[in-house]
Amino acid sequence: MELFAQDLVNGLLAGGIFAVVALGFSLVWGIMNIINLAHGAFVMLGAYTAFVLFSAWNVDPFVSVPIAFVVLFVLGYALQRFILNFVVRAPILTTFLLTFGLSLLIVNIVLLVFHGDIKGITTAYSGANFALGPVTVAWTKLFTLVAALLITALMQLFLTRTKTGRAIRATSMDIGAAQLSGVRVAHLYAIVFGLGAGLAGAAGALISLSYSLQPSMGDPFVISAFVVCVLGGLGSVSGALVGGLVYGVLEAFGSQYVGTGVQDAVALVVLLIVLIVRPTGIMGRAAA
Amino acid sequence: MSAAVYLSVDDVGMRFGGLAALDGVSFAVERGAVVGLIGPNGSGKTTLMNVISGVYKPTGGSVTFAGKRIADVPTHRVCQLGIARTFQVVKPFANLSVRENVAVGAMYGREGTTRSTRAAFDHAQELLEVVGLARVAERPASDLTIPDRKRLEVAKALALDPEVLLLDEVMAGLNAVEVEEALALLRTVNERGVTLIVVEHLMKAIVSISTTIVVLAEGKKIAEGAPADVLASPQVIEAYLGTRYASRQAAKNAGAAP
Amino acid sequence: MKIGLGGITGNPVALGIAVAVLALLAFVPLLHNGYYENLFRGVLMFATLSLGWNIIGGYTGYVSFGNVVFFGLGAYTTAALWQHAQVQNIAIDVVVAIVVAALFAVILGFPILRLKGHYFGIATLGIALATEEIIENIDWLGGGSGFTIRQVDAFWTYYVAMWCVCAASMLATYLIARSKLGYALVAIRENEEAAAVLGVDATRYKIIAWAISGAMAAAAGAVYAGSNGFIDGPTAFGIDNNVFPIVMTILGGVGTVAGPVFGALILTAINETLWSHFPQIHTLFFGAVIVLVVLFLPRGILWLFGVRNGWRSIVGSFGQYRV
Repeated sequence: MELFAQDLVNGLLAGGIFAVVALGFSLVWGIMNIINLAHGAFVMLGAYTAFVLFSAWNVDPFVSVPIAFVVLFVLGYALQRFILNFVVRAPILTTFLLTFGLSLLIVNIVLLVFHGDIKGITTAYSGANFALGPVTVAWTKLFTLVAALLITALMQLFLTRTKTGRAIRATSMDIGAAQLSGVRVAHLYAIVFGLGAGLAGAAGALISLSYSLQPSMGDPFVISAFVVCVLGGLGSVSGALVGGLVYGVLEAFGSQYVGTGVQDAVALVVLLIVLIVRPTGIMGRAAA
Repeated sequence: MSAAVYLSVDDVGMRFGGLAALDGVSFAVERGAVVGLIGPNGSGKTTLMNVISGVYKPTGGSVTFAGKRIADVPTHRVCQLGIARTFQVVKPFANLSVRENVAVGAMYGREGTTRSTRAAFDHAQELLEVVGLARVAERPASDLTIPDRKRLEVAKALALDPEVLLLDEVMAGLNAVEVEEALALLRTVNERGVTLIVVEHLMKAIVSISTTIVVLAEGKKIAEGAPADVLASPQVIEAYLGTRYASRQAAKNAGAAP
Repeated sequence: MKIGLGGITGNPVALGIAVAVLALLAFVPLLHNGYYENLFRGVLMFATLSLGWNIIGGYTGYVSFGNVVFFGLGAYTTAALWQHAQVQNIAIDVVVAIVVAALFAVILGFPILRLKGHYFGIATLGIALATEEIIENIDWLGGGSGFTIRQVDAFWTYYVAMWCVCAASMLATYLIARSKLGYALVAIRENEEAAAVLGVDATRYKIIAWAISGAMAAAAGAVYAGSNGFIDGPTAFGIDNNVFPIVMTILGGVGTVAGPVFGALILTAINETLWSHFPQIHTLFFGAVIVLVVLFLPRGILWLFGVRNGWRSIVGSFGQYRV
């Protein structure tokens, strides 16, 4: 019973990260119908940004979060504006392969620069935890969850309260009408992709405390982002949040009861079940 | 050739969520007839076509043809029964040649399953001559003009060796000359023994070609019969032109009666 | 690809060249050169993988991002047969691998092939990852450390076997493209709804296509395992074997018979050059190659055969999908 509660708590704590990663992925997918296979690489870049800032200037990873967001936003904006915008309406294979190629490029550049050895960040409070009844909660994980929730809330506010946010939502509903209303779609798409990348980067900075860093660390996040989007439905911030938390819990239980080596298998089974039983996801709408 | 009920639409209803696109529509189609299906926009004509061709399963009632209920048959087997259709938004196989487009139907339709690839292509060529596309047989379908694309739709449907052909707004976007050509083609097809159900907005075209007309409004059938009778019917006029026009017209007619 | 001249088999000139190349490759063992044997075995293997992917991705239009699962299954079939049944016959390996792959495709095909577009792509990716994980957790199949297979035959036997598998795959693709099945697949790709109305049983044919594509990949995997002497999770299910065939098919020309073969040749040549001159950044270069191919040659090199103003058309068509 204690184990169950521990798994539940750990799952929820991890779920926040999955939610933020998935939110970025969901924005790009929902609004531009691009499945960004380089999304995991963006997460990795965020983590490495935090690492660099920490090793060079002793910047606390949590402070690096907004910095990583900005760095990845700029990168994402440039990628979309100057490369991806040319293939936005192409068949899926094109965007799949293109983002895959970009992912290869990014991962290998990082490999060249930082080499493949595993790195990590340890701060003064890294190992600290407290007890909540029978369950042990690590402070870093708790802060991470809080930060994730904060980011999600900010995103929601941005999408609903700002002019740009509304323009984004309008474009996702009807690109023609949006263009006629004066929306500069190329620029807007670049912003969306930048936001997606920024969110991934922020998540990466957040996890730099709890995960070890290597160039390939981002790989599992693409699959998990996809599953969360399917679980939670596209185009829904709350969907990404709920989906992420659920996914985190499922993963925790999966590790416990099925075995640690089979995360992907668990994710896949969940994905298939959801796709077949309820294609619109738990909360949102399905993709086209 | 018996005039017995050939294709029967019985009390067909189609609901999408809370919306009833079709409600209790019933009529019978005789063999060899040309049935014109008309009605204002949104009256459910294309939905009805989708039900008859098996693309939608009706939520109420049924369509029966050749003794079978269409809804019981999977979509890809409906053409084996003998029913073929064209789509309002044409669906050519863009990267295949015109002839290849038609050949696909010739390979998998009613007699298609026993045809060889070679024979299917020969049959396709024949049909291209009938519809007048032989000159562009080798071109990719994506290269065709709109009237030619419509011809291609018809050819593809004919490749299925159908007994009943459903045509959904085949004449939309055609100019007067092209409409005449389309009508001539349809008459040829009908003379080859194919029963037609035609959805059209062009009144003159429908009237000139139909043996019977069925009128839908808001998902219900409001009239059925010979063209002249149906078009003079006050309900039909009301559905198209509104209640005030209809009552004015009725008053005029009443006043004009000797 | 000039429509109508070669139908969906593709440009006949290109096809002729591909057949000639294949014939030439048959003579490689006579060179008695280990390096070339290995290199061209790789070409044949990737050509087969590409031909396999081409059936489901190119002709049917269902972009599978996880066809490596079949290659892996084939490789492990050989390993398991060797380890547990003492079978050392390549032919038996291939046959059993094909059966395993076909079964896998048929069973999983029912739920997976109902998915469209992106969903299908990621679902297949997920299947590949999941299968690798599951196999690595089964000790009977070598667990995490994989299998060592003692090579029984001389390398050239495996070369010939791979050549046979490739030739058979090419022949199969050609026959399919000329047959009613081929047209059913292309119809599904072009417009699945219209195809259904024209009498094509999409579910049935999609599964058949996936099974055939899987069979080709599995056959290649079965031969590869024997010739390599060792397989484990990453070797069998590695990302190279997953993505290379896709890029090769695109580069060569999707939905044609010769395309995958050309793509395999060209990309292997590029790969080898990169390996020997820039071993450090070879994968990085590959990423760049992928990006460039996708941006500028989305219809593949064979497309140039049928287009009069080759280069100008590339530039002209660049940006046709832009926003």
